[in-house]
Amino acid sequence: MKSLPDKNILLFRSCLVSVEYPGVESSTKFVFDKLGIDYAISEKQTCCTGLGHYSDVFNQIDTSAIGARNFKIAKNLNRPNLVMMCATCYAINKKSVKLLNKKDDLRDHINQLFDENGLSHLKYEKDDLNPTENIFHVVDILYGKKDEIKKHIKYDLSEYKIATHHGCHYCKVHYEDTIAGFRDPNILDELVEACGCESIGWYDHKRATCGTGFRQRYSNPDLSFTATADKMNALGDEDVEILIHLCPNCHIQFDRYQHLISEREGRTFKAIHLNIAQFIALAMGGDFDKVIGVKAHTVPIDSVIKDLKEVDK
Amino acid sequence: MTSKQNLDDSPIDFAERIIGDVKNSKDEGVLKCVQCGMCTSTCPAARHSDYNPREIIERVLEGDTSILEDDLIWNCFYCYTCHSVCPVGNSVCEVNQILKQIAISNEIGYDKLYEYMGFADSYFTAAIGAIPEIFFEDIGRDVPGWWDFRNNLVDIREELELDPPLMPPKDVIDEVSLILTITGFKEKIEKIRASQEVEK
Amino acid sequence: MRDELKVGVFLCECGGNISDVIDLDEVRESLDVEFVGQFENLCSLNGRKIIRDAIFDYDLDRVVVAACSPISHEKTFQDYVKPLNPYLMDMANIREQCSWVHSDSKKATHKAITLINASIEKLKQSDAVDPIYCQTPDEVAVIGGGIAGMNAALSLAKQGIKVTIIEQSPSIGGHMAKIGKVFSPVKIAEECGMCLLNPILNELVWNENIEVITNAKVIEAERRAGTYNLIVEKSPRYVDTERCIACGKCKEVCEVEVPDDWNDGLSTRKAIYRPFGQSYPESYVIDMDNCSKCSECVKVCNMRAIKLKGRKEKMLLQVGSIIVATGHKLFDMSKRPEYGYYRYDDVITQSELGRITGVNGPTKGKLLKANGEIPKRIVMIQCVGSRDEKPDGHKYCSKICCTVALKNANIIKHKYPETDVVICYTDVRTPGMFEKYYKHTQENEVRFIRGRPGEVVKKGDNFIVRTEDTLKGEFIEIEADMVVLSTAMEPSDGTREIAEILNIGTTEDGFIKESHPKIKPVTTDVQGIFVCGTAQDPKDITESIMQATASASKVSEYNHGGVEIEPFIAEIDKEKCILCGDCISRCKYKSMSIQDDEVYIDPMSCNGCGKCLVGCRQKAIHVNGNIDEKIMATIKGVLSKKQPDQRMILVFLDNIGYTAADNIGVNRLSYPESIHIIKVISVNRVRPNHIKYALENGADGVFIGEFPGDLMYDEVERKVERIKETLGELNENPERLMFSKVYIPYFSGLARKLTDFDKKIEELDL
Repeated sequence: MKSLPDKNILLFRSCLVSVEYPGVESSTKFVFDKLGIDYAISEKQTCCTGLGHYSDVFNQIDTSAIGARNFKIAKNLNRPNLVMMCATCYAINKKSVKLLNKKDDLRDHINQLFDENGLSHLKYEKDDLNPTENIFHVVDILYGKKDEIKKHIKYDLSEYKIATHHGCHYCKVHYEDTIAGFRDPNILDELVEACGCESIGWYDHKRATCGTGFRQRYSNPDLSFTATADKMNALGDEDVEILIHLCPNCHIQFDRYQHLISEREGRTFKAIHLNIAQFIALAMGGDFDKVIGVKAHTVPIDSVIKDLKEVDK
Repeated sequence: MTSKQNLDDSPIDFAERIIGDVKNSKDEGVLKCVQCGMCTSTCPAARHSDYNPREIIERVLEGDTSILEDDLIWNCFYCYTCHSVCPVGNSVCEVNQILKQIAISNEIGYDKLYEYMGFADSYFTAAIGAIPEIFFEDIGRDVPGWWDFRNNLVDIREELELDPPLMPPKDVIDEVSLILTITGFKEKIEKIRASQEVEK
Repeated sequence: MRDELKVGVFLCECGGNISDVIDLDEVRESLDVEFVGQFENLCSLNGRKIIRDAIFDYDLDRVVVAACSPISHEKTFQDYVKPLNPYLMDMANIREQCSWVHSDSKKATHKAITLINASIEKLKQSDAVDPIYCQTPDEVAVIGGGIAGMNAALSLAKQGIKVTIIEQSPSIGGHMAKIGKVFSPVKIAEECGMCLLNPILNELVWNENIEVITNAKVIEAERRAGTYNLIVEKSPRYVDTERCIACGKCKEVCEVEVPDDWNDGLSTRKAIYRPFGQSYPESYVIDMDNCSKCSECVKVCNMRAIKLKGRKEKMLLQVGSIIVATGHKLFDMSKRPEYGYYRYDDVITQSELGRITGVNGPTKGKLLKANGEIPKRIVMIQCVGSRDEKPDGHKYCSKICCTVALKNANIIKHKYPETDVVICYTDVRTPGMFEKYYKHTQENEVRFIRGRPGEVVKKGDNFIVRTEDTLKGEFIEIEADMVVLSTAMEPSDGTREIAEILNIGTTEDGFIKESHPKIKPVTTDVQGIFVCGTAQDPKDITESIMQATASASKVSEYNHGGVEIEPFIAEIDKEKCILCGDCISRCKYKSMSIQDDEVYIDPMSCNGCGKCLVGCRQKAIHVNGNIDEKIMATIKGVLSKKQPDQRMILVFLDNIGYTAADNIGVNRLSYPESIHIIKVISVNRVRPNHIKYALENGADGVFIGEFPGDLMYDEVERKVERIKETLGELNENPERLMFSKVYIPYFSGLARKLTDFDKKIEELDL
């Protein structure tokens, strides 16, 4: 398996995390701090363009040029390991690094634009970053610290029925780098296990999309929500209480629209939705309001987790 | 009905153009398609609409450029499931994205992009990819308590002691605005907006 | 005088393989020699005529054939240049090491010109020498006791040759023993597999020329003077095969039950067991990993055949040739979890279906689901793990799965006409007579849906198979209560292991590679080692048997014809030799000995490394064939074609490294055009002055590759280190010289190393 860094990390800020589930960022920091991971956040780093890119507004040159700038910021901070909280940022940045390394025409074109417009300091040199060894998702880093996580668990969440939803853009875009499977994705299940819980494992549509489909959610809501309903029904059949996420896009689709889909399907879905970092932070004793950020959630966390039981030491 | 292939027709040119696109990561993958249908069998859009990824490749290989104007290509979720299972190493998901970029460069599909101009605007004003405000009304209707949440966002973030703030410094915004100007992005956005506002 | 020799150069187009990339017109124009010929296929008989005629008409002294690798056709062209001495011909490898690894036509053409020039210069230093013929021992080892190994052994034994079969499991028989029924395209019917296997097994058992060693593996191999010394490790059986009468009392009292692998784990067996009814040796065996050592079996055995103690034994087997028949295994279904094989009992493989429908199987031939009911609808999924480029998949077609699915579908339809059988396929591949069997299957009301299913899920009691009916362009969910997966055939672990032990070449898919499927079938890259059956590639029983017979025939040719050895070996000047014996102790290949008061050099084991002659104080030894001069001339020949700003890297490889380099071309991988490979009989013959000369006269880098199994490996590695130190002292960058391990199976690694070295040299910016 690839080596997983625990230092020289630039924790890459995500637009959706910032404005939808800021608790994911605070939980990630909380967990990283507990695990002794060396990371920093930069105010200079900007959005990966992902949402616009997958809505077809940004083309590859726009996206890779913005990527090159962010990569340079990471390099200059001597934090070449970019760690993403959002699956889309992960896929977008990994693809840009791959293309900038491999496609000389694209790299030369972007560098020339930089040169001609006083932005030479942003130029990307071939192999500045390595797509496999420098571009990660938070789950990768957590996976590298699985055994360490076990030592910090404060609360026992094993009585809940837990399932996992793996973001497509973590698992399937760069599947050669995906840890613990992409045909039957399991990295979240293994992280849940590290918290002393057992997930339900496989369920129908486990590897399927959340249904967001970028433009589908807004321009084609019927199609989008029908796909989400496939998954919600399968999870409902398994009586799932907590669904674990790794991407704010999926998180929105399930948490914000669970009520709407319940109405559409004529059945009640009760699951709450937590990012894996929130789940681990919770198990490690993170405060609901000050760390987990439950106020940002539409399905109330306390509708399922009513009280916390400490683990037997 | 009979379809005719004339001696001078070169249907494969269309596939070659896609292969040559900067976004293509699958080399000659398109040409190796055997129409097995595994893409379709795992495709959420095929499951719930008339979108058919296998047929996309079939039409590409036939050199059928009318696909650029087919509304169905806009149904792809970009979930990459087809990309992750294709036995011959093709990626319909990438081909689809390339088709749309070709369409856009041919001034097709501007209406589809218009609603998403907010992504461009937020980038120029805040270097962030915020959900376009045009959708806020729908969201407010579909998501209980969403407006309250939005109004409390600053407080929620404050309670979580999140730093740095949402908005990056001005020099950062200026730098990315410049980048998006020199790549031709800004011009394209203005063109799309102008064309749609004329129609309205 | 050597400069006045008349040289002829013959360019082969190789049916476009060469001429599509290399501009042969430009090559022709660049050559200043007595004669230049060109032909589309020089290795054909017409090619022979062109070469011979030119030799006579132009009175040629030396001939360069610029074509494929000498590994494939050196013997052919040595024959074609007759009556010219075979060693006055040299091949410039412009196919495997030029047109197949480079795509830039201009650069490839210049490299071809360079390689041809190197051959010309080398030939000017060549003298006529005669090949040496040797005889090898007749005894043969057949590794693997499946249907291929059994047939190969039997064929050889009937020709009077002593054969030893080495089988790692407790019985010979292989996959065919458990397959149930086999198909016969001639009869359009299924036949009993065991009934066809048994006669072969009996014949083999009674043949005095065959010895069978079971529970055994080859763990080491080395070759000395045409003899292979195999170290065979035999695991204890704990039951004496001489005493055991297979009465079965022992198994009655054994209380341990474990999954029976012969039934693909669908039933159980005891810790003491007989693998299957007709297994050979006809004896029980103990699975010690699961034995509780209760000793009950020992107590009931009247024959006193059981001993619970035992240890692994190592034995030496000396043979002249080896047939590798180590077979295949089936695709691991955990790599395609979406089909639910490990989640659901009634998702099974075709192999398991074969056991279930076999009368000697877990259900005595009844087709039953895990709950004991007869399935209503069975969906078969084709190409699982085959024709699949995704991680862990196989790009190739496993060849037999279509017919296996048809066979099992027919067997089901004969006994359970009410059960609906649907085969989901991408292409039905039934070439030749098998097409008739396909039609027969359709007549039996087996249904076919063209589509490759994406997943199998459980809904209620039944499965849903999600697929597209691609002929209708419709996404469908097929309800089924049993799903059968047609899993890919892949090289067995034994096949992968033996390839490493014997250092024989493999394909990119891990099967044993034939030297050339047309001109050297069943022959591996290593002399005296042959291959047959599914160790070589996916195939059915009939083809395995044919290939087994072919390999036996090749062994027979080898035994009768002897081995031709290149004459570039050491020779003793008896006048000067004082019998000090220094050379004998220096020789790593143990090819020297004193016989009848003379130093004798065994031609089969001497590889011309030259270690003996460097240390001989009497200067009584030389190696035939002007080796040093030829290497120097080749270096000069390459470097004289260097263009301004061209990077030039010289790579020295012996036969093993050169074969690996050829495999890069055969598999159409690539490396930079700067790489120029020079074949030497032993890497040790590349002297420090060769390397120094090269680096001072235009070579930007020198790469030396050696197979770690070569006895001279350590010596060569030390030598290169010393030269590097000297380079450092001379203010030259020692990084320009590189030493690396090479292996025939890891050709892709060699390609990567060459590419990396080129990059490193570029970065040194000389």
